[in-house]
Amino acid sequence: MAADAPTRRKAANAVYVHGVAITIGWADERLSLGDLIFNGVSAALADAKLSMAQMESVVLASHDLVDGRSLSSMVTAPPAGAYLRDEIRLSEDGLAALSLAAARVEAGECEYSVVAAWGRASEGDFARISRRSFDPAMVQPFAVDEFGVSAMRLSAWLATHGPAGEARSRAGAVRERSAAHRRLPTTKLVSMPAPLMSNDAPRPADIMVAAIVGRASAAIRIAGVGHGTDLTAIGDRDLKRCTALADAAAIASGAAGIAPDGFDLYELDGATLADEALAVEAVGVAAPGQGFAARATDPRINRSGGGAAGWAYPANGLLRFADACLQMRGEAGAIQLPGRPRTALATGLSTVAGQAAVVVALEAS
Amino acid sequence: MSVRQAIVGIGQTVYRRRNPDANTAELVRRAVSEALADAGIGLDRIGVVVSGVAPDALAGRTDIDKSSVARPGIPYFRVNTGGASGSSAFLAAMSWIAAGRCDAALVVAVERMGHASTAQKVFNSIFDPIYEKDISLSTISMVAMRATMLMQEHGYTLDHWAGLAARNSASSMLNDTIDQPRSFTADDVLKSPVLAWPIHALESCPMTEGACAVVLVADHLVGDRNAAWVHGAAGLSDSYAMGDRIHRAEGSLVDLLTLIRSTAKAYDMAGITDPTRQIDCIEIQAPFASSEAMAYTALGLCTPAGGPAFVDAQIDRSSRISINPSGGPQAVNPVSATALIRIAEAALQVRQRAGRRQRDGVRTAVATGQGGATQFSTCVVLGDRAQ
Repeated sequence: MAADAPTRRKAANAVYVHGVAITIGWADERLSLGDLIFNGVSAALADAKLSMAQMESVVLASHDLVDGRSLSSMVTAPPAGAYLRDEIRLSEDGLAALSLAAARVEAGECEYSVVAAWGRASEGDFARISRRSFDPAMVQPFAVDEFGVSAMRLSAWLATHGPAGEARSRAGAVRERSAAHRRLPTTKLVSMPAPLMSNDAPRPADIMVAAIVGRASAAIRIAGVGHGTDLTAIGDRDLKRCTALADAAAIASGAAGIAPDGFDLYELDGATLADEALAVEAVGVAAPGQGFAARATDPRINRSGGGAAGWAYPANGLLRFADACLQMRGEAGAIQLPGRPRTALATGLSTVAGQAAVVVALEAS
Repeated sequence: MSVRQAIVGIGQTVYRRRNPDANTAELVRRAVSEALADAGIGLDRIGVVVSGVAPDALAGRTDIDKSSVARPGIPYFRVNTGGASGSSAFLAAMSWIAAGRCDAALVVAVERMGHASTAQKVFNSIFDPIYEKDISLSTISMVAMRATMLMQEHGYTLDHWAGLAARNSASSMLNDTIDQPRSFTADDVLKSPVLAWPIHALESCPMTEGACAVVLVADHLVGDRNAAWVHGAAGLSDSYAMGDRIHRAEGSLVDLLTLIRSTAKAYDMAGITDPTRQIDCIEIQAPFASSEAMAYTALGLCTPAGGPAFVDAQIDRSSRISINPSGGPQAVNPVSATALIRIAEAALQVRQRAGRRQRDGVRTAVATGQGGATQFSTCVVLGDRAQ
């Protein structure tokens, strides 16, 4: 269990979401990575109706090697607005950056902070890079990567709960149908190790997500943040439980004072459809064994299409967060839920295979 | 600062070129165990673990922190701001405590660059892939350009770089965290090979591995613990592009604008208006002698024109302020950990626990962090009592 105290946002130091921006594409030769980042942060500022001059803090999430640079933030921080500003960069999922930015606001260190995360899947092979996260002597020779762990996770789930059959197929179809709104071009195929199937695969994309958070009141409030951390060694984990995610979700929903299954919307990070289904169980919106069924039938879950609507580590958690914000603002277009969700839960997973998780609970002000 | 905070625990491994006898987790365990024992705090009391780990490529493995620093059940995240990673992680932990998310944080930085066949090839790849990689830009050639500017604009000579390097070498001989301190004179420096003029081999940092851990707590947990209180702390980022900084109106490439502004903010928080009188000891993250001289001005210790004279006073030890009593990064430079080590060494000085390298009468100490082609700067002011 997580040792951190619940991080409930009190009125005195509440943090609000002022703007979000999502850019998703594929191998756009017109844009350098710096251009992509600059455009994304500029769009988030425009969405917030704020200027860069009002930003005192910049918190970034990017990953060496995924960027093709061995010190990712060095070249890419200035386009994100870090020029002569208090900037910090995390080698974690983007939702961890959002959490730190919120902490800076809560601490009174700044009025507003930029948060940005990006990944450019067209420039690298994530599966290959992720293999380098595993133990070089004991694990790397077996070619285990993030998708391989997802397959092991699903194997463990199937061994306990049996074949998901129809629910699994329907969940895949629902996911694809939701993802169509992005109109992503064909990117590249990610081969799925058994028992994963082709419709479990994420759709690799070039993703830049930015958000502006601050102390001034706005339409969406960060109602709870939870962090969870699991063991590194895959063999030592309870793969079905997704421990880090479950712990983080319990803390975030507890801080928000909302029952785990009581949110109006769930935007859940997962490298594969199976990971999304297990995440549904981990955050407490479905009972163990019911993740695929819930993913197939509950419209509150990954309305955005999840990983099928674009996936690039380490931008995914912040993408889930931004998608949740758009839903809560009634600006989700073709995938807008009837009515406007007043509460939402967004999750983000970091390497290695979800070893660290961050969950953010959102509430309409 | 909304919540007063203090360092109450410090742990360091021995720093050496390679550690073939220990994996990364074992290095971290040594530093963390020592820090927790020093603090008299168990891991169950820690509310967040923040790591500082710089380029993945140096270790030859991505996310090396996850299997060595992250602790199941405790919120964890990794900071990567190049050479400033350790001090940036410290600032992030401060934010966590100031936000009321926890009251005890463990900051850990670790470096395994002994796995890299050559650090400079890795450092070459931090620069722009189209415009800069192909011109052999590296951390050494970058520093050489700055050293040349300092010599041209302010009158520094090769003797200044050699003298500072020799002073740091002498200090390092008293530092028991260094496996094999290098003993040399200024003449030895000038006779050593030129890496990139005017940088000689002996005035540059060696490749080093090791881990450093610091326990940071909110004031109500300090009790009767021997504490180094944080009086001020700030960080700032800049453009990495050196060409954009050479003749910039706000400050040139050798003015270290981000350190000037970080320092000004930290000094303001700490109530420091006359650093040469109020500060007793400074640990500067300067892997090269010329980088150290460049920081003196940014720290308000001298004017740009007075820099060479201040360096002379440091070399002949007539200056009141102790600078890099540990030997500094020119003695050992485990890149990811170096900035946190500066904070740890400054804290040891104000806690009067620096062993043979302890300087007399240190009550206020400053630690700097630099990373990413001096793109990232941090400044932390520590004192022996709460403000």
